[in-house]
Amino acid sequence: MAEGFQKLVAAFEKEHPKIRVNLVFAANDLATNQKYFSAVAAGTPPDVIFVDGPQVASWAEWGALEPLTKRVQAAGIREQDYFPPCWRQNSYQGNVWAMTFCADPNFGFVWNKEAFRKAGLDPDRPPKTMAELDACAEKLTRVEDGEITAIGLIPWAQYGGANSMYTWGWAFGGEFFDAARKRVTATDPKVVKALDWMCSYAKKYDVTKIASLQQGFGAAEQNPFYTGKVSLMCLHIGGIAEIERYAPNLDYGVGFLPASPGGEAQSSWVGGWCIGLARGARHQQAGWEFIRWLSHDDEGTTLVGRETGLFPGRQDSPYFDEIKDKPHYGDYLRILQACKHQRPVMPVQAFYMRQLQRAVDNAIYGKKTPQQALQDAEQKTQAELDMVRAGQRAEAGS
Amino acid sequence: MTSSTRRTVRLGLLFCAPAILGLLCLTLYPVLASFYWSFCDYRVLLPPKFIGGGNYAHLIYDDIFWTSLWNTVYFAVFSIPLGIVAAFVLALLLNQKVRGQALYRTCFYVPSVVPLVASSVLWIWLFNPQAGPINDLLRHLGIANPPGWFSDPAWSKPAIILWSVWGVGGAMIIFLAGLQDVPQELYEAAEVDGARAWQRVIHVTLPFLSPHILFVVIMGLIGSFQFFTPAYVMTGGHGGPVDSTLFYSFYLFLAGFADFKMGYACAMAWILLLIVLGATLLVFKSSARHLYYAGGEGGDGP
Repeated sequence: MAEGFQKLVAAFEKEHPKIRVNLVFAANDLATNQKYFSAVAAGTPPDVIFVDGPQVASWAEWGALEPLTKRVQAAGIREQDYFPPCWRQNSYQGNVWAMTFCADPNFGFVWNKEAFRKAGLDPDRPPKTMAELDACAEKLTRVEDGEITAIGLIPWAQYGGANSMYTWGWAFGGEFFDAARKRVTATDPKVVKALDWMCSYAKKYDVTKIASLQQGFGAAEQNPFYTGKVSLMCLHIGGIAEIERYAPNLDYGVGFLPASPGGEAQSSWVGGWCIGLARGARHQQAGWEFIRWLSHDDEGTTLVGRETGLFPGRQDSPYFDEIKDKPHYGDYLRILQACKHQRPVMPVQAFYMRQLQRAVDNAIYGKKTPQQALQDAEQKTQAELDMVRAGQRAEAGS
Repeated sequence: MTSSTRRTVRLGLLFCAPAILGLLCLTLYPVLASFYWSFCDYRVLLPPKFIGGGNYAHLIYDDIFWTSLWNTVYFAVFSIPLGIVAAFVLALLLNQKVRGQALYRTCFYVPSVVPLVASSVLWIWLFNPQAGPINDLLRHLGIANPPGWFSDPAWSKPAIILWSVWGVGGAMIIFLAGLQDVPQELYEAAEVDGARAWQRVIHVTLPFLSPHILFVVIMGLIGSFQFFTPAYVMTGGHGGPVDSTLFYSFYLFLAGFADFKMGYACAMAWILLLIVLGATLLVFKSSARHLYYAGGEGGDGP
């Protein structure tokens, strides 16, 4: 990723001889947020900052970003140029706060064809419904001496408990947030049903046994999907390049999530990286030009795709013509085009995700019923959101 | 004051000024500011808004706050005594005059200088329920179903407590130093009176080491309430499973730096200060009778 960005910057500078980009890398974690916020508070922010899509609303709320609305309009950039969830997650309180330069279709549902063959399943026929998924997962699970040595699917391990909850919750047809009424809806019966289904795996295979298996999971070549320890999972698009690098001989397929009865067919949501102007940035015009180039320009978006292996957020980027027939990438493009959701656009999204993680944890370990666990998450998040909104009203009134 | 002493005082103050300024700006100011912010809704980039005791009232109803407090107390109650016993026994053993004494001492001290993150990563592997050496050993001992450690909310805290015992090197050194001060003639006198080895430990060694033990208990208390890094690393920043390793400082960190609820985090920090202060005072008061300071006044030693 870092190398790719250096190439992107070089290309940008070549096209913009008057602008110099000083690229500073920082991990995407809490410590970096802390550094960034301190820099803004101290009045020495960077000009441009990467911001995780679901964080855009809260960063806007806390005053860490400059609104881009006027610049977006002046550049002739329109809402319909972007995949709808990509645009939605950057729009908050009537302003545009960031641009999606990398759309991350969540998720490609991948299956290990070799494991399918070994289990006597047809490698070209992935599960299409939840019932098929459950049956398939069972056949792919192996237990030796009371220990699980391979498992079909771990429903709550799709990039953490909260992302798993979103993924299955939407697939079951649920909704997590009522944007119009500003209500957190974690207890939507379909979300509860999704968690109920996740818990059925925890009961059937014993959650501590699964967790024990998970502790042996490694990175790179030791990825459990490559080693056959997990045969079905959700994979984000960056995973393709990793497989090419670490397990080039892996025989796998990519498709849509299985559909649940009464749920959403071809369900997926968008994550991904956005880029915004730091609050108080000194070189706003040049900074904006970099943002525009990276997220909207024909050349910029194409290079983003080529260099990072991720997808641009702009729907009609010429990059998509390059990859639409490429194995796996084409599948991801179809998933992205069908994408309906993004994580709730609200200032306490990260808080919500931690509550969802907690709800999933409590439910799968049997400490709370799915209903109770989600109700707790809903109440806490609603209270947090109400507090922030009360602050907004006070500000508007004063 | 003569003019020369005044001059000396002025010069002295001048030379101390960097330290004094540092203390005022980098310690006193943040402490006072955090006290004020604990009464504010403070989101780092927006100006703090005074909300009275709102944060403190909110904490009372925050079940995760109570969970984190319970986890921390659980950890302190088991890890401090266990650590002291381990350090004491190690110190006694390493005080024996045997060949390679220095080497043994080094070996047992080394774990406490290993960086926390590195040792946490190492212990994740040791505790691995399927392939880790700890469970391998347990299986060899005939335990068919060894604990799931970090996979099981009931075993994750014991796992962290075991980890903490690995790092008792610091306390061990303090005890080892204390052991050098125990007068040999007391041991000889006790031996003449017919005291067995363990009686000599209890009636001679322990009283002499009591101030050291008090020191280690208090440092242990403060340390346990600030316990953070290994839990963060070993659980991937979640404090799981099911919040079983979400310790007080861990939750405080999340409130402050994940949710940017700095006011809330400050309130938690001040409550932490009161808890540690209270616990320390309690230890001081309740231990006064049992303390023996060689050569000092007070205390009713042996």
